[in-house]
Order: sequence, then structure tokens, then C-alpha cells
Amino acid sequence: MFRFILHRLGMAVPTLLLISVMVFALIRFIPGDPALLMLGDMADAQSLAQMRSSLGLDHSVVTQYLIWIKSVLSGDLGFSISTRQAVLPLLLERFSVSATIVLVAVALATLIAVPVGLFAAWKQNSAMDLGLVAGATLLLSIPSFWLGLLLLYAFGIKLGWLPVVGYVMFADDPLKAITYLVLPIVTLTLVEFGAIARMARASTIEVLRLDYIAHARAKGLSEGAVLWRHALRNAFAPTWTLVGLILGNLLGGIAVLETVFTLPGVGRLMVDSIFARDYPVLQGCLLLITCIYVLVNLCVDLLYPLFDPRVKL
Amino acid sequence: MHHYVKKALYFGVPTLSLCLAALTLQAGEPSLIKVGFNGDIRSTEPGVNRDENSDAFIMHIVEGLVAYREDASVGPMLAKDVTISDDGLTYTFTLREGVKFQNGKPLTAEDVKWTWQHYLDPKTQWRCLPEFDGRGVSKILDISVPEPLKVVFRIDKPNGVLLATMSRPDCGGSGIVHPDSVAADGTWIAPIGTGPFTLGQWKQGQYVELNRFKDYTPRAEAKPDGFTGNKQAFVDRVRFVVIPDAASAKAALLSGGVDVLPDVTAMDEAELKNVPGMQVRTSPVMTLGGLLFQTRDPLLGDVRIRRAVALSLDYSQMVATLSNGLSTVNNSIIPTTSAYYDATAHTGYPYDLDEARRLLKAAGYHGQPIKLIVNKRYPQMFDMGVLSQAMLQAVGVNIVLETLEWGAQLERYQSGNFQMMAFSYSPRFDAALSYESVTGNKDKEPRKVWDNPKALVLLREAQSESVAPKRQALFDQLHTLMLADVPMVMIYNGTSIGVVKAGIEGYRSWPISKPRLWGVSLAATSK
Repeated sequence: MFRFILHRLGMAVPTLLLISVMVFALIRFIPGDPALLMLGDMADAQSLAQMRSSLGLDHSVVTQYLIWIKSVLSGDLGFSISTRQAVLPLLLERFSVSATIVLVAVALATLIAVPVGLFAAWKQNSAMDLGLVAGATLLLSIPSFWLGLLLLYAFGIKLGWLPVVGYVMFADDPLKAITYLVLPIVTLTLVEFGAIARMARASTIEVLRLDYIAHARAKGLSEGAVLWRHALRNAFAPTWTLVGLILGNLLGGIAVLETVFTLPGVGRLMVDSIFARDYPVLQGCLLLITCIYVLVNLCVDLLYPLFDPRVKL
Repeated sequence: MHHYVKKALYFGVPTLSLCLAALTLQAGEPSLIKVGFNGDIRSTEPGVNRDENSDAFIMHIVEGLVAYREDASVGPMLAKDVTISDDGLTYTFTLREGVKFQNGKPLTAEDVKWTWQHYLDPKTQWRCLPEFDGRGVSKILDISVPEPLKVVFRIDKPNGVLLATMSRPDCGGSGIVHPDSVAADGTWIAPIGTGPFTLGQWKQGQYVELNRFKDYTPRAEAKPDGFTGNKQAFVDRVRFVVIPDAASAKAALLSGGVDVLPDVTAMDEAELKNVPGMQVRTSPVMTLGGLLFQTRDPLLGDVRIRRAVALSLDYSQMVATLSNGLSTVNNSIIPTTSAYYDATAHTGYPYDLDEARRLLKAAGYHGQPIKLIVNKRYPQMFDMGVLSQAMLQAVGVNIVLETLEWGAQLERYQSGNFQMMAFSYSPRFDAALSYESVTGNKDKEPRKVWDNPKALVLLREAQSESVAPKRQALFDQLHTLMLADVPMVMIYNGTSIGVVKAGIEGYRSWPISKPRLWGVSLAATSK
């Protein structure tokens, strides 16, 4: 397993290097000049040139890349063009916000959706199954921002139970922090519940058709034992892959939800940095997202044998 | 005697207890107003690494020698008075006595001189340096301190907009700061100004706070007047909460998450004004919204086509739609709230489709596509483009909308690489500054839309002139010339719409649009 981990991490190095080149080049192909965005419609040519020079944008793209990659390799992601903050601490701070919401929401969604999917598969084509599938499809179809705004309206404005905007760090005030996190976590849980439940149901139906399940039933095992002991473990493997993909995707930022709930997460940081053409922050965000994808996929692969005994690393 | 003591104790003790309780409550719970901001501030340095929100924020902490009044004219702020020499080359500012910095030290003319030297140092990267180092109308030659409370600026050429430029919010109001605001190596630490609020906690991406400056020395006027007047703060803290999404900001206002939204859309205004407990504050502002033409374009180089476009737009209908009936038509680059907006400036383009068709025919236009750049970051620019496209179809002008991201549009504006563009200039608070933003030599400044030598001469005169009637005559000539040249079609100035919760007293919208939290109180604390 150790060799597998080393091999996978080794494979990630050229991927990250390639991504770094692509990210650096693509960002600079986007029309728009950060210096111009900072100076606005009153910029004269000399001020613009001075600003570009002070931001290091007067060097060639290759030189800029070499300067940046050298800093990255020494653990320095540079400074934000907009706020002059160091990028690495900024990213870590923002990532902790996104990660808290995503990890809790995906864990909750998985814990609820897998048994629901299993149950729906067991009761396939019954009214209960149809109801659960319809509910999951509905949740899957609702745009997250709309669901977020509905919950904001209901629990924030109408009932006044939860705060509508803002964020409190868990370390500062745990109880208050929870009140700020409830709505985004519930929204994300509901949205992801649909996808995970449908996958759990579909993969369980596949497994329930297999001969070994019929064999287990023929042995006289109870339906509970058949489902939990024999069906769940095999059926969970594809669902686990989906959970891994969802995690990788969401940990890269939940920009829409972060905007709706005014959370200072990494997704909002990335969107803001695109609008401001804040190259160092954007490069840092994309590099972080790539690393997360690599690590999440590695973790999923490492955990796969736990659910599917046929898989060996 | 004993009876009186008993009576005094009977009534006095509870009264005293209530007073003490009230005081304790007041001391324990400082008054706080929460204001919604659509983005975080960029820095706390006046006029450096700034944007609209940074400007609005910093104007609560620092004050300049002069500042904009409520009607966008310029009045003294830290200065008691300003005298200009007959040749227009020497400006003498006499400072108010007793003004203190937020670190407790008294304001002196030496501090003013130090601050200005700091701004004029290119290393500071002050946004407004080009306006004072000779690239603009004039250059500051020397700043001297003849007396402890007197500072003298000498410039190389007469400059009718010197004080207006000094007062610009994007220049940080040229706010005077104490030298301790800057470290020994020249790096910025934090603003130590003379304003009614001090810098509080800044949680980046979440909120930034102001604390009341208890030793603030207000001007003698009875009330606030724009960025000047009596700027006494009545609340202990102001928190600017970052809420980028407009729908979330509205939800925050309705749920009590914020008390003030300084800038809502006309559509939200229509909804919120009917919500009990909400008060709407509107004011015309000095943004300049309109359509820009590239006059060097083979097609739009023909003034007849540009004029035909100008005559084909139903401005009343367009502005009513764009602003939900809150703004009025203005075909002049001088904002309607400016002191220089007179009857001549009020003259605009008639709505004359027959004449437009005649001009197009005479110009040989036969439906060639004209690209009009719009963006969706600023919905009013997009809507302006869509409405123009629909109205111009009536005379056979074939407008093709090109939707760009704002940063990309700004780049095209800067390079002059466009045929037509729906655009909104940020506010210019002097008529000469408005004309300056659009007039210039395209070879040197491709972003300038009006390249007319006669207009440039008139503009230079207006920039140097300080006498109001003479300036008015020059602006009238410029307007008439612009209507004939049609390098752009000005359509309207926007409206600032603020919404405040009931119980917030003293908050007003104004032509400069920026929120001001001095002079604002919570109903309970103000009584």
C-alpha cells in the first residue's frame, strides 16, 4: 500500500506541474488587465504602466511563470494583487470555511442517503420507492442557490430562528458558529442527498439481482441480514466513488452557496479573484483545487478495498 | 427631617438605580449600526489600492483640507478658510484650531505638509498623483508652512479644479493623516486621521468596523453637509458587512442582519418601500450613463450616422425603464445635480425618426451591423444596450450586442477597440472633470471618445478658470459643440437608492452616493 501511495503521489507531480502551466497561461488569456481594473475608467497611460510595473506584469509571461513557480516550490504563493495579503494563509483560512461545510454536509448526506437508497431498492417499484425516488430527483433538480434562498427566507426572515448573513469562526464562539452554519449545511446536504440516494438505490438494485443474494436468501437469512451484511457492502462501492467525486468537486469551493450565505470560503475567493483578475490568488486557488482532487481520489482509492473485497492495492 | 430623608430614599433610590441600570446597559451594549457592502474594502490607505467601498469606508476616518458639500460644491473641512491669489497660483489654507488626530496629537500645518509629501511620492502609488505632478492641469511646485496653522500650496498654472480634485473620494479626499500611520520604511500601517470614526476590526471577506472617535472636533455648522459640516458620530460602532449577493443583502435587511443598505436596485426599491419598517432614501447621483461611439470607425466616423442614432432613441421611455421612474433624461455630460447644469445643458436630442432615417439614407447606411458592447456585471449597462438595440431597429440600424465580462469591456474601452459601447462613467463632481473624462487626443489616449481640437481648447480654459460665470459660458459652448459632434449619447445620471430600517435616524442618500454614518443615530440612543 505504501508503494501505491508513493506511486500515486509521484504521478501527481507531473500533473500538478502541467496544471500550473495551464492555469498560468489560461488566466493570462482571459481579456482584462488587473491594473486597469484597479485604476478604473480614469486610468491614464502612464499610471497604468506604473501600476503594471508595480504588480510585476510588465515582465514576459514566461518570466512571470518562472518567478511564480520558483516561489511556489519554496512554499510561497505570492501576494494578492487586490488586498496585498499573502496568498497561502488566505487560501488556508478560506479553505477551512469551505471544508467545514462540505465535510459535514457530505457526511450527513451520505449517512442519510445510503440507508434511504438501500430501503428504496429493497422496496423497488412500491409507492414508497416511487416517493423516495421522486423526492431525490426533486432535490437533485433544485438549484442550490434557490434552495438556499428559500431556506433563508423561511428560517431567517419569516421564522427568525437563524442568522441570514455573516460567519463566526468555530474557535471564536462554537455555539454561534453553528447557528451560522446550519442553513448552508442543510442546503448542501439536501442537494447532495438526491444524487447519493439515487446512486445507492441503483447500485443496490444491481446487487440484489445477483446470484449470491438469492443464495443468501435461500439459506434462510433474514432480509435485514441480506441487506446490511451482503448487499450494502458491495452496493456501497460505486456510491463511495460518487461521494469521492462530490467531495473533490465541492471542496474546490461552493461559490454559489458561499455567495448566497455570505460565507468567506474558497469558492467566493476564487470568483472574486476572477473578477479582479487577481492572478496570484486565482493561481493559488486552482492549484489548491488540483491538489484536493488528487488527494481525495487517492483517499477514495485507499478506502475502496474496505467496501469491495475484490479490489486489491 | 426624618420624614424627608425617608421620602428621598423612597423615590431617590429606585430612580438612581434605574439611571445606573440604564447607564450600565448603555456602557455594556455599545450602539452599533450594520451597513451592507457589496464587497470587501481593498485597503485602509486613502486613495491607494482602493475601490468604491474602500473610498466610502476611509472617508469616515480621514478628512481633507476641503471636501464636497451635499450639493457637490467644494467647502472647507480641516481648513477654516482657503484663499486663492489673484494669479490663481497660490492657495493658502488656514487650519481650524483644536483639531486632534485619533492618536490624541494636535493637527498642525506640518502634518498637512508631511501628508502631501507622502502622497506626492511616487512610491506611495497614490491614485491621484497624476492630477498634481504636472500630468494634469497643473503641478504642485511647493508646499510651505509659514505659520503653525497655515499651509501654502504653490502651483505652476491656474487650476479651476484643484480644490475639486483634492476633495475627490477616490483620492481618499486627500485625507490628512498623522505620520505614525506610516512605518519608518514607508510601509502603510493604519490610518490615523481626524475623522469622526477610527479604524476598528477588519475580518477580511466578512466585515470591517469603525469605532466612534470620542475626542472628535466637529466643525461649527449645525448639521453634516456632504463630506463636510458637522460630522459628529452618534453611534459607538459601525460595521460594514460584506454581502456580495443582492438577494442575500435584501434578506439580511428584512431579517435584521443589517440596518442599512446604501445601494439597492430600482426594482428592489419598488418592493422594499412597501415593507413596513423600511424607509427609502433616494437622490440623483453624478454617474454618467450613455452610449459611446468610436468616431474613428469607418461607419461611425460619419457624424450623420451617430446623429441618427441619437435621434432614434426615446429617452423618456428608456430612462423610465432603466430607473423604474426614479431618474430623468440628461443628454449633457454635466450631471443634473451640478451647479453648472443650466438651461443650455438641459437641451438634448429630439426624438425624430424621420430625420434619423433621412440622415442614414444620406450617409449611405444600408443595414451594416454595428457591434454594441454590453456587460452583465452592471445590469443598467446591459439594459441600456438592449433597449437601444430595440429602438434603433425602428429606423433600420442593425445593432448586434456583444456581451463581455466587465474586465474585458474595460480593456476594450481603454484601447478604444469598439464600435459602440453601453458605458457608465464613475461620478465626476466638477463639470470640467466630466468633460475631461471624455475629451482628448485619441492618438495619446485611445479611451477618450471626443477628439475635437476646439473642444480641447475650451476644456483647457474651463480647467484653468475659477470664476463661475466664465466657466458656465465655456461649459455651455462645450455642450452645444458636443450635441453637434455626437461622440457619445449621454442618456441619464443614476439614482442612489438607500434603504434603512425604521429607528435609524439621520441617514440620507446624496449625489455623491457614498454612505455616511456620522450624524446617524439609533432612535433609542439619540433620545
